[in-house]
Amino acid sequence: MAAQSAAYAIEQRPEPVRRPKVMADGVMGMLVFVFTEIMMFAGLISAHIIVRSQVAGEMWPPYGQPRLPVQETAVNTAVLLVSGIVLVFAQLAFQKEASRARLPMLIALLLGLFFVASQGTEWVSLLGEGLTIKSSTYGGFFYLIVGAHGLHAIAAILGLGWAWYQLAKGRLTASQFGTVSVFWYFVVLLWPVLYLNVYL
Amino acid sequence: MNRAWIPVLVLAVLALFPDVVHACPVCFDARDENRQAFLATTAFLSLLPLGMVAGAGLWLRKRTKEIDVEIDSEAPSDR
Repeated sequence: MAAQSAAYAIEQRPEPVRRPKVMADGVMGMLVFVFTEIMMFAGLISAHIIVRSQVAGEMWPPYGQPRLPVQETAVNTAVLLVSGIVLVFAQLAFQKEASRARLPMLIALLLGLFFVASQGTEWVSLLGEGLTIKSSTYGGFFYLIVGAHGLHAIAAILGLGWAWYQLAKGRLTASQFGTVSVFWYFVVLLWPVLYLNVYL
Repeated sequence: MNRAWIPVLVLAVLALFPDVVHACPVCFDARDENRQAFLATTAFLSLLPLGMVAGAGLWLRKRTKEIDVEIDSEAPSDR
């Protein structure tokens, strides 16, 4: 009798509610990684601010060191920001129909490649003018901060390229797209902060 | 008096003059610009992680509440 009533109670028990995840696992992992990267760049920016403050105001960049191409890099900054905006459109299109995201994602990817290529050209030019990582603290900080960002940009572009390939094959999941996008947004949003700090 | 106490006494006397030691770059610097930079970056590096963790916590709380509302609206009514 007791066994029968227990079985009845189990049968009548409502199905447990399976709570949806707050966010995809990949996105969560990438956010944690991005937090650590933000702290690393915050440390670099802080060190740069302190070293800059130790030099007399009018002497930065130091005498004899080449000036950074502020205007060309401003254009590059705009290109990178547009790339981030286009990726937002790609994500919105992906939510409606995955294949619609292909073109905006490709545009975002190409704009990112343009940014990295332009930065590379700028580096070659600056090296030719005598600004090296050892020429001064100015050069050291420039290559360290901008170089660290450049490495992140290259990694993010590789991620975006992989995601675009998966999308073209019809295998890209929303979680994968979200994960790659978070990293790209980090690269895009970090750059204006670095530009204001290092170039101006 | 035992000579071993001399260094202890010297250290005790030196401890009475902390103003002479300007090792703290945030507290003392001849250049005001430099001191302000140290203060600003100390505050920046202290508050940034706290801000990020607090922001993430608030967002998670908001998102969890939204999910609760979604579950409640989807659940079949008892009545």
